[in-house]
Amino acid sequence: MDPNDIDTLLPRDLVSLEEPPAEKEACIEHLLDTAVQAGRVKDRETALDALLAREEETTTGVGMGIGIPHAQTDAVTQPTVAFVRSERGVDFDAMDDEPATLIFMLLVPEGRDEDHLDMLSSLSRALVHEDVRNSLHEAESPEDIRETLKEAVA
Amino acid sequence: MERVVEIVPEAGLHARPAAKFVETANEYDAEITVAPTENGEAGEAVAASSMIAVTSLGVKHGEKVKLTAEGEDAKAALDALGEVLSTPEDGEK
Repeated sequence: MDPNDIDTLLPRDLVSLEEPPAEKEACIEHLLDTAVQAGRVKDRETALDALLAREEETTTGVGMGIGIPHAQTDAVTQPTVAFVRSERGVDFDAMDDEPATLIFMLLVPEGRDEDHLDMLSSLSRALVHEDVRNSLHEAESPEDIRETLKEAVA
Repeated sequence: MERVVEIVPEAGLHARPAAKFVETANEYDAEITVAPTENGEAGEAVAASSMIAVTSLGVKHGEKVKLTAEGEDAKAALDALGEVLSTPEDGEK
């Protein structure tokens, strides 16, 4: 699998620019619902349990306004990313105390540890750059978001 | 001051081990960086105090990283970080 294949990983209907719920768990459920509606998740509860179990371990608020809730679960058959942007910010309990404004949910089928880690690192590598974060904030359409990510992970 | 350390936790430098690593790095009065290594060659270093920067390295179990530290607490910081990276998580051998 190519961890940078935005067309496959993050199709248009998995990108939302609508304000998500303000609370972390509700926000994660909101992202999951986006993936469920896109037909990417066959078992919502299993996926949610896996995502929340991962949050229990340590938060996925990685700082700089980024949240990357993620899990490996057989509730998905292919690696899937969903994105939402928040103006208000969602408290992800990050070490730098910055609320998350750019939030990516990653779901990877069980047993694909390498894909999972590669996707996380590829996304983080792109998002470390301030210009990439700014472009994502300024994007006016889901297509802009996808173009920015495509360039950033290329 | 620098040191090369192998990543022992199964999760690699990710999730709980990464959080612990970053928390530890922030406890010391030192500028600390971490770089991935391949065949003994260090790659680009990032700030050990940033969770997203550390996650971006994608370092896996069994791989080695090069730590560097400058400042008053440099040695203590490297000792503590080396300990974090060399210690299996609870339930792992």
